[in-house]
Amino acid sequence: MIVVSRESGKKVGSEPRVGVFVCHCGTNIAGFTDIKSLVEYASKQPGVVFATDYTYMCSEPGQELIRKSIKKHKLNRVIVASCSPRMHEPTFRKVAESADLNPFLVEMANIREQCSWVHMHQPEEATIKAKALIGSAIAKARLLEPLESAEFTVEPSALIIGGGIAGIQTSLDLAEKGFKVYLVEKTPSIGGHMAQLDKTFPTLDCSACILTPKMVDVGRHPNITLLTYSEVKAVEGFIGNFKVTVTKKARYIDEEACTGCGICAQKCPIKVPNEFEVGLGTRKAVYIPFPQAVPTTHTIDKEHCLFLTKGVCKICEKMCPAHAIRFDQKDEDIEIKVGTIIIATGYDLYDAKKKPQYGYGVYKNVITGLEFERLINAAGPTGGKLLRPSDSKPPKSVAFLQCVGSRDANANRYCSRVCCMASLKHAHQIKEKHPDAEVSIFYMDLRCFGKGYEEFYERTQNEGVRAVRARVAEIYEDPETKNLQLRFEDTLQAEIMTAEFDMVVLATAIEPALDTSAIQKLLKLSLSADGFFLEAHPKLRPVETTVAGVYLCGVAQGPKDIPDAVAQASGAASQAAIPLITGKVSIEPITAFVDEDLCSGCGICEDLCPYSAIEIKELDDGKRKSEINEALCKGCGVCGAACPSGAISMKGFTDKQIRAQIDALTASEVA
Amino acid sequence: MKKFAFFLGCITPLRYPGIEIATRQVMKQFDIGLLDMDGASCCPAPGVFGSFDLWNWLLIGARNLSIAEKLDADITLVCNGYATLQEVNHLLEDEEKRDRVNDVLGKIGRRYSGSTKVRHCVELLAEDIGLEKIKSKITNPLKGLKVGVHYGCHYLKPSKVRLHESPEAPDHLDKIVESLGAESVPYREKLMCCGAGGGVRAGNIDEALDFTLEKVQNMKDAGVDCILTPCAFCHYQFDTGQIELKKKEKWNTPIPVIFVTQLVGLALGMSPKSLGLYEHHISPKYIDKLGLKLGKTKKSSSPTDEAVASC
Repeated sequence: MIVVSRESGKKVGSEPRVGVFVCHCGTNIAGFTDIKSLVEYASKQPGVVFATDYTYMCSEPGQELIRKSIKKHKLNRVIVASCSPRMHEPTFRKVAESADLNPFLVEMANIREQCSWVHMHQPEEATIKAKALIGSAIAKARLLEPLESAEFTVEPSALIIGGGIAGIQTSLDLAEKGFKVYLVEKTPSIGGHMAQLDKTFPTLDCSACILTPKMVDVGRHPNITLLTYSEVKAVEGFIGNFKVTVTKKARYIDEEACTGCGICAQKCPIKVPNEFEVGLGTRKAVYIPFPQAVPTTHTIDKEHCLFLTKGVCKICEKMCPAHAIRFDQKDEDIEIKVGTIIIATGYDLYDAKKKPQYGYGVYKNVITGLEFERLINAAGPTGGKLLRPSDSKPPKSVAFLQCVGSRDANANRYCSRVCCMASLKHAHQIKEKHPDAEVSIFYMDLRCFGKGYEEFYERTQNEGVRAVRARVAEIYEDPETKNLQLRFEDTLQAEIMTAEFDMVVLATAIEPALDTSAIQKLLKLSLSADGFFLEAHPKLRPVETTVAGVYLCGVAQGPKDIPDAVAQASGAASQAAIPLITGKVSIEPITAFVDEDLCSGCGICEDLCPYSAIEIKELDDGKRKSEINEALCKGCGVCGAACPSGAISMKGFTDKQIRAQIDALTASEVA
Repeated sequence: MKKFAFFLGCITPLRYPGIEIATRQVMKQFDIGLLDMDGASCCPAPGVFGSFDLWNWLLIGARNLSIAEKLDADITLVCNGYATLQEVNHLLEDEEKRDRVNDVLGKIGRRYSGSTKVRHCVELLAEDIGLEKIKSKITNPLKGLKVGVHYGCHYLKPSKVRLHESPEAPDHLDKIVESLGAESVPYREKLMCCGAGGGVRAGNIDEALDFTLEKVQNMKDAGVDCILTPCAFCHYQFDTGQIELKKKEKWNTPIPVIFVTQLVGLALGMSPKSLGLYEHHISPKYIDKLGLKLGKTKKSSSPTDEAVASC
């Protein structure tokens, strides 16, 4: 009888004493397998000294049952036959630990996701398969060895990538908790898409009025270092100890000296389309994107500046009262150390030109929702007057087309979630300014799911906004009037119709930001099928990623509105603060292990390792050996599979353990 | 000289031999040789045959493809036979299907190995020959001619199989028209069906003519001089259908119809007669507008001898 405690050493000195705990998971497992025969089968397997079952093994009584049984039967291996290890392995490891058993002597047999759920119509076969899965877990468990987790200290600071509303909120939360925050934003100002919006649904708050004070808070917060016009270039290290290289792009203006007075922009002779105005307005080659930008430091756009392209002008340098212009500035790499990283990279919009049947880019009076925001915005290019682009006259009738690029097998299958409310808000804004204007929304479903949204929908209906359930097939521009004729089937009336409007607004889909894949590669994150960053668990770990120490918030994780983005940003800040507060992290010990006697130092593993966790070291005797950095190793097993001399094995997944598992699975005795 | 097997289909030789003649003349101008497909049959029709009996549709289509394969040439064509042969060819990329078809073809001493490509004559004009080369041969720029371009269905769809251009914003025909000096006039519902295909014309002529009427009304509103088609069946539907509509007193202003290679032929200086333009039910009034120097303008009941002589 030897119970292995975490402190008592690595070797298990006696015969394995295996306990098997079969979970019913309510009826999830018990409804489709014969639990009694599973327990009976398990108890007959070699090494098993105790087997039992319980309705919910993960519940407190279930956990207590395991704890008591470990003590009572002196178990030194525990099998829990229940759900996927992704679901509850951490739970049952903690149970073992609390009963003084090394947590890595717990093995899960997944008889739910991989058995009962997929064989609901074959209960007999499901029972046979569950036996095989339990048998194979037992075979592996007999060979398990205790493992020790390593502990590291944590750098009490965080990196936030992206300065939209999500990045702003999460930065402020962490800074208020007392941690150092580095906020990196690729454009010259923070604010993101929210800064471009006029009003926010359903309360009709002025977007700038609620956003800009937060931007100012970020700019002034003593704990926040704001790195605008900057991009993350490289990330090394692991949770608690990330080393990040940030490239600060040359602004050609001294940030310390610039007062943001704007004289340079007044004097600059070059006008270019303003990205902030979605191309509807212009800016100068030296500029701030919008008057409330944070920081107010101006930026010289090297693509258009006369001096930087043709070597002439320099009028800004002559006129700047602060002498802040620095044409010799170069891009600069800054290295920072952070404990945790939060991704808040936001989104880009679907290119409406990909739906040529709507004529965006061809017909002047077909615009996107974001363009509408600028046209209705008092600070926008028309001073808030809604004028249609072809003749600068107020439109008497406007059509909104929903789901342009969303819920569409030829574009994005997902729902972009904000466009229904955005278009309803736009419709309301038109009615507010021009009560007689005819406004129609062409929709598939109006999804007004949030707090106060349904009420807002009703309000716009009462204002006379018409909702037409139709997917518009084609838009045709009358060459004379530049009016737009929409051809569609009203699916509630089952009638094919044509209707003419002065202007059409396309509710274009939210898509993953263009630099998503660059960030994904930098941090080795996963993406979900829709192309957004994948959270660690869709319900229970919504702001974590599969990479420890890296968190998500805002639209980077999936389309969402401002309230959801802000809530998630605060959630991410809380999660990211946990290691910063505790000051230490333990690293999962399931890593690669090199048998130095077998290693020939060929270096194949070093080249293959996706986490740069392997280095070939030269020993004193001149021999080369592979060395694993356990903090960086994720235990993916690539090196082990590739090692030509079989020198690398995975702790917790040794060849011997896996073979025992396969042998048990393929044994015929189960049936 | 690049050579293509010329699949004529049924409608072209039976009703609009002018399309064949125009195509042969134009392709010759661009050093493309057209080979006769000896023994070719009906494609068979894409909608009706394929829907009722997929295997026999594949089989007969494969037989036609095997004729071209034996000639060691890709197929080109001028009708909705494109829909059948191009899609049959695509389906027969599947080895299992091809084996099954070949088992039967073997009984008549034929075999199809899948090496032939099927290219619409519009693809040849826009992609293989190219607009620059077309422009370089123009002797009669079609200045002032307002053309209503009709793409039809089978040339573009199903888009997953066709692939050669966007099903929502195709532009090959418009570019060809513009390169000839004419104007491609935008009009409502440009990508709508002519009404004929899928057995609609044969099964429900009134329904088919409703389609046609809507199309020609939209084109008339846009002020077109003629309707340009890339498909002999659409061509037939517009040319014959407008007369049928007139007889039903639903349509008084038939718009003349012209096939894409006929329009190219006009710009290359070929005579309207040699292009078979007087073989249409609706007389080519746009010719006057173009002010071309013409030969005999009298409508001839005999095939266009002068063109035949030149081929």
